[in-house]
Amino acid sequence: MVKSVLSSAIKEYLLAFADDEHLMGQQHTEWIGIAPFLEEDMAFASIGQDELGHASMLYALILEGSSEVDAFIFNRKPEEWRSCQLVESNHQNWEEALMRHWCYDMAEDLRWELFRESSLPELVLISERALKEEKYHRQHADALVENLLKVSTSKSRLMKALEGIVPEVLELFSSIPGETEAISSGLVSGKYCDKLPTWRSRVENRFGVLDQKLFATSDHQARTKRHLDFAPLYGRIREVFLLDPKAVW
Amino acid sequence: MRIYEVFLKADGKEEFRHAGSIEAPTDELALVLARENYTRRAEGTHMWVVDRENICVSEEGFIDANLNKSHRHNDGERVAEWRKSQRNKKSNG
Repeated sequence: MVKSVLSSAIKEYLLAFADDEHLMGQQHTEWIGIAPFLEEDMAFASIGQDELGHASMLYALILEGSSEVDAFIFNRKPEEWRSCQLVESNHQNWEEALMRHWCYDMAEDLRWELFRESSLPELVLISERALKEEKYHRQHADALVENLLKVSTSKSRLMKALEGIVPEVLELFSSIPGETEAISSGLVSGKYCDKLPTWRSRVENRFGVLDQKLFATSDHQARTKRHLDFAPLYGRIREVFLLDPKAVW
Repeated sequence: MRIYEVFLKADGKEEFRHAGSIEAPTDELALVLARENYTRRAEGTHMWVVDRENICVSEEGFIDANLNKSHRHNDGERVAEWRKSQRNKKSNG
């Protein structure tokens, strides 16, 4: 058996990113057919597919070429996931889904930037590809938001959604298992939470200064505790896989 | 919302071709939405979106007069046929 080149701490670190991308992609694609207008429902699902692509590349790296990627993803126990609350929570209203898309994608490129000079060459390539795509994800989210903010009823709905989402974003930035080793080994260039001020300034440039209380540190669970909405989401993800778990796709 | 016509061009010498249309509130969103709706599978390398309002449309019948001018239809085949018959005449003569 080939000796693993990635330590378990590094795998945990990458798994947090892969799981975030996977669930974010899943959540976006669930808007197919029901987004407010046809063009947007296609676009949103297409962006979701990009996120699924990022997840798939990260899972492949974590599993080091194993053919058991599907089994790994679909057979894991909920407590073995390392996703954050932001991507697990069920935001049923369109303004919440759009606001989460904006907030997540304004944070995502800051995360990929950490890999640009990674000691792992595969990660450098993956991050370059992802960063190219993320530019358009941000443009999509921001162009929609910019237009909706001009309408007072839309603006108040978006601002309310934003207030609910900011605390979840804080957890996204601050609780990544394996981060210390990821930095010391050169896998990433720094702590993700150091990028939070950049994210916050993006938010405040677009939406105005927010209540400081929203940024008060909350009690983070290091991504080991699943959101209440995770179980039904996981059920939908596994629905087809469980019809025939041994099938080769 | 406005309607935009979307044109795509593949790499190389291909010309821009109409790909479809899209509804969007602004030019920027038209580009962004067209990108996700029409180029997801690398259908082109260049894209135009044109606000339908900016297309000059000819009035009904404006080009109908040219439908029945057979002398303008040079299809090559007839010329080739004529040249072949000339060659045959020469070699037979």
